Amino acid sequence: MSQTSHTPTAGDENPRPSGAMRGPQRRLRLAAYPSLLAMPALLLLIAAMGYPLLTVTLRSFSDPAWGLQNYVWFFSTPVNVTVLWRTFSIAAWVTIVCVIAAYPYAYLMTAVGPRLRLVLILCVLVPFWVSGVVRTLAWVILLQDSGIINSVIRLLGFDGVKLIRTQTGVVIGMAQVLLPFMILPLYSVMRGIDLRLVQAARSLGARPARAFLQIYLPLSLPGVFAGAIIVFILSLGFYITPALLGGPRSTMLSTLVQSQVLSLLNWGRGGAMGVVLLVATFVLLALAAPLMRQRHKQASRS
Amino acid sequence: MGSRSRLAGFVGAAALALLAAAAHAQNAPPAGTVVDGSLKGKTLTFVSYGGIYQDGQVAALKEFVDKSGVKLLNDGPTEIAKLQAQVESGNVTWDVVDTDDFPPFVHCGKLFQKLDLTKLDISHIPAGQVGECSVPAMNYGMVLMYKNDTYKDNPPKDWKDFFDTAKFPGTRAIDGSGSPLGGLIEQAILADGGKVDAMTPADIDKGIAKIKAIGPDTIFWKTGAESQQLAESGEADMIIMWTGRAMTAVKNGAAYTPVWKDWLVVMDQLTIPVGAKDPDASYALINAYLGKKSQEILTEQTSYSPINNEAQPKVDASVAAFLTNTPDHAKLGYQQNIKFWVANFATASDKWTALMAGN
Repeated sequence: MSQTSHTPTAGDENPRPSGAMRGPQRRLRLAAYPSLLAMPALLLLIAAMGYPLLTVTLRSFSDPAWGLQNYVWFFSTPVNVTVLWRTFSIAAWVTIVCVIAAYPYAYLMTAVGPRLRLVLILCVLVPFWVSGVVRTLAWVILLQDSGIINSVIRLLGFDGVKLIRTQTGVVIGMAQVLLPFMILPLYSVMRGIDLRLVQAARSLGARPARAFLQIYLPLSLPGVFAGAIIVFILSLGFYITPALLGGPRSTMLSTLVQSQVLSLLNWGRGGAMGVVLLVATFVLLALAAPLMRQRHKQASRS
Repeated sequence: MGSRSRLAGFVGAAALALLAAAAHAQNAPPAGTVVDGSLKGKTLTFVSYGGIYQDGQVAALKEFVDKSGVKLLNDGPTEIAKLQAQVESGNVTWDVVDTDDFPPFVHCGKLFQKLDLTKLDISHIPAGQVGECSVPAMNYGMVLMYKNDTYKDNPPKDWKDFFDTAKFPGTRAIDGSGSPLGGLIEQAILADGGKVDAMTPADIDKGIAKIKAIGPDTIFWKTGAESQQLAESGEADMIIMWTGRAMTAVKNGAAYTPVWKDWLVVMDQLTIPVGAKDPDASYALINAYLGKKSQEILTEQTSYSPINNEAQPKVDASVAAFLTNTPDHAKLGYQQNIKFWVANFATASDKWTALMAGN
């Protein structure tokens, strides 16, 4: 009984004895070189990611001459530092908005019946399939001073609000584009949470809020962190949305990189900007990592 | 016998050499012409900015393609960084490249070939538009468009009014799509009573400060389409627009009026990259492009102004209203000091980028 369940796939697919012989052999080979499984992905990453990154990093130290001049330039130019800081702050805001908007939504997805769940999933995925540029242009129409949102506000007798060409507008647009990246990891974690734990807490006298905060929330945190990291990192590189929905004071670092490389042909400076952004992101993640691990442990303990 | 034939050979060779020299000294074939079948079996890659502009350019080149037998490939949009990568790797696949104002001057001889003007007929190009590495591809302008509703009987009349937010309140929208607007910075300096004939890099700061002083609500549009959208939805009270986009916006019902005083002269440029595979074929294309008929087709299809002064494009009144080469408009144009902006390109770009980034 236990033996048959231990040799599942190969034997099932191929009932011939020779097939049953081949099965374990193949497994042995993979077991000896488990890293082989990662080869296709690794090769792709090295070719499409590692090599260009190496080139960019090299050029940041060697273009136009060897040395640190590009980094000195980066940190001695006020606009760069301002925009770097702004890039992180916009990314943080987008992440916060995404968490707040996605959390109840993902919870709802776990709570409703299969048919409604399908509708909810479609609501997340359909915009995901539409190009980001198109969605951003739609936001221009919605957010502009003479746009739908402001028309309604004025119709109700209030003063219009400035939405487009502000940081708020950029955060709204980016959060909408990135929302699926928050909802999907959250949903996959929440789906695995045993709701009977919450019921148990309630039956032991916890109020709903307490049961949520002490039981459900910690269990769902891995999903929050996974989603938050994806959204935060994707936000850092946004280009089109801030360009179309933002004004000068919501320009992000990618725009400055573009101007250095494409109009000034300063590959070195552009590379340095990219490297600074990358390193800053790594540092931030390294700082956040122990925090996450701790929470995770707490969650699993409780 | 032997010596005589040698002599005859010598004379013949000399005659041939003379003929070749004469052909070389002779001016290029007239603009707009090409020898039948001269480029049969060859391929040229023409690079421009896509959209109706490149479509119009291809239409203007149709006769050239049909006659010469060349196979014309299109690529784009023009990206100087991409061209640099091609030139540096020694694998240049672009033959003729349409660029905006500055690049042919900034990278002349490095990315763009110095042009041999004996191979081009430049006699009908408007004065002062031929560069060391470029000929114009078309002309257009940046005009100040004001919203009729906002200013009614007291509209802005020039750039001074554009910078005067006390007398002319309202949101301004400026072209923030790329290179610094040298012309606008010069106008800002002029509006402050400064002089532009002896500008120094310090003056760039003054001009940019003046632009910044318009206020925090200033819009820097990133694409031509965005500027058109701003006009059609009435988002801004004064918009600096490309004439082509201004024309389309007005056609689509935008209630805006152009100010022609000191409109900023802009042109696209045609260039041949360093290391282009067959420069003579590139020259042939450009020479055909400069012809009267080609330029008429270009204007009729794109509404940009022709760069052949004999061209008589047939366009309707709404297009003609925004052509920059009509006598009334041509005389009001303001030409930026290209030399200065090319010499100070990096400084100006850095300062302009900082302005665009809200610093």
